[in-house]
Amino acid sequence: MFRLLRPFEYLEPGSVSEAVEMLTRHGERARIFAGGTDLVISMKKRQIVPDYLIAIGHLSELDFLEAEPDGTLRMGPLVTHARIAASPLVRQRFPMLATACNEVGTPQVRNMGTIGGNLCKAGPSQDTPPVLVSLEAKLHLVGPRGTRTVPMDQFCTGPFCTVLAQDELVVEIEIPPLPPRSAGCYKWITKITATDETLAGAGVVVVLKEDGSFEDVRIGLGSVAPMAIRARKAEALLRGTWPEAAQIAEAAQIASEEAEPRSRAAYRRHMVKVLVNEGVTEMHRQVAASMQEAAQ
Amino acid sequence: MKTVATFVVNGHPHEIAVEPHQLLIEVLRDHLGLTGTKHSCGVGNCGACTVLVDGIPKLACLTVAREVRDKPILTIEGLAKDGVLHPLQQAFVDYGAIQCGYCTPGMILTAKALLDGNPDPTEHEVREALAGNICRCTGYVKIVEAVLAAAEVMRKGGN
Repeated sequence: MFRLLRPFEYLEPGSVSEAVEMLTRHGERARIFAGGTDLVISMKKRQIVPDYLIAIGHLSELDFLEAEPDGTLRMGPLVTHARIAASPLVRQRFPMLATACNEVGTPQVRNMGTIGGNLCKAGPSQDTPPVLVSLEAKLHLVGPRGTRTVPMDQFCTGPFCTVLAQDELVVEIEIPPLPPRSAGCYKWITKITATDETLAGAGVVVVLKEDGSFEDVRIGLGSVAPMAIRARKAEALLRGTWPEAAQIAEAAQIASEEAEPRSRAAYRRHMVKVLVNEGVTEMHRQVAASMQEAAQ
Repeated sequence: MKTVATFVVNGHPHEIAVEPHQLLIEVLRDHLGLTGTKHSCGVGNCGACTVLVDGIPKLACLTVAREVRDKPILTIEGLAKDGVLHPLQQAFVDYGAIQCGYCTPGMILTAKALLDGNPDPTEHEVREALAGNICRCTGYVKIVEAVLAAAEVMRKGGN
């Protein structure tokens, strides 16, 4: 690894459309640059040697974190992990996202690294994708051919691969509101110490019907497949059923079979089972308790 | 192509001609001679190069210098006032929280940002805040004690 960077030209677009123009003009020779916590390292390692950096860090149109009246959360790609983790809006409406953002890297990396950069990196062991997958988030992309919207579970196509075209830019992450009688959490285990890579992670959203049965269960798994995936068979087993420990354990087992871990497969599968079981059980209890409270 | 940019380091503006690919750590150490900021792992794991940009701990080894032009940057050299150590610096000395000293500037600046936002942190909060600063000598116990002691001094109005 080299400690310094090779020369490049530093471009500062005045708007998103100018950034797209620059991407189109310079093609593979250009890279979008924001937080730098990943790209600068790749550049030091000479894995990526761009001729142009298109610095978007100053574009205020990409730096927002706001809620719509209906509860939809909209985030610009420049929002840092630290800001998401500390945001009262996120902590109140989507605490699981705050939890996951607080697990990314170290405090300094969270102060610098952006959610957009994190998602475009598409590392299989990242913490935010399993949460965003279970929240059914959508990414808004802009390119020379216009805009398009991609659901989070279709954004990544493999390890470090996404559907983002070379001349496209992520301009917004949209999270739909959670229905009434719902709760979500992020459960994870790291490899060794707390700042290590995540060994297995599960984003769990539980929605109950008024009668207390499962209306919906959404399970996003991270670090146990080429990209974050939904454990759809496990979800289907629970949907519409009465919450019972044996049934939840069975669903957790199925989720662990839906995982496709490459290394330490048995351990990762086991941990998927543990995390999903814990997540669904705890979220069910939480929603049931708040329903009981509301009824009194 | 070199362009002249203003870097506001420890309260003083400096006009410096920088190349686009130069990192903040090069500006601090090589242009300004502020060698208190340490260049260690180079990949954002160790925290030795931590400086405060707008009061927020950031890694000088991963920051392209141009990104922080005109922003207030605080390095360890900017902490002592009129030859008097900052309470954190004094506590690190008093508690033996320094051995080789390589991690110390980053530790102290990260701790300063914590105490500026949270004057009365718990031990757990101190450990969480310092999770991105690696020390290979001390085992962290004395560092955490020093930060908690400094917090007390600062609450009582020292600095």
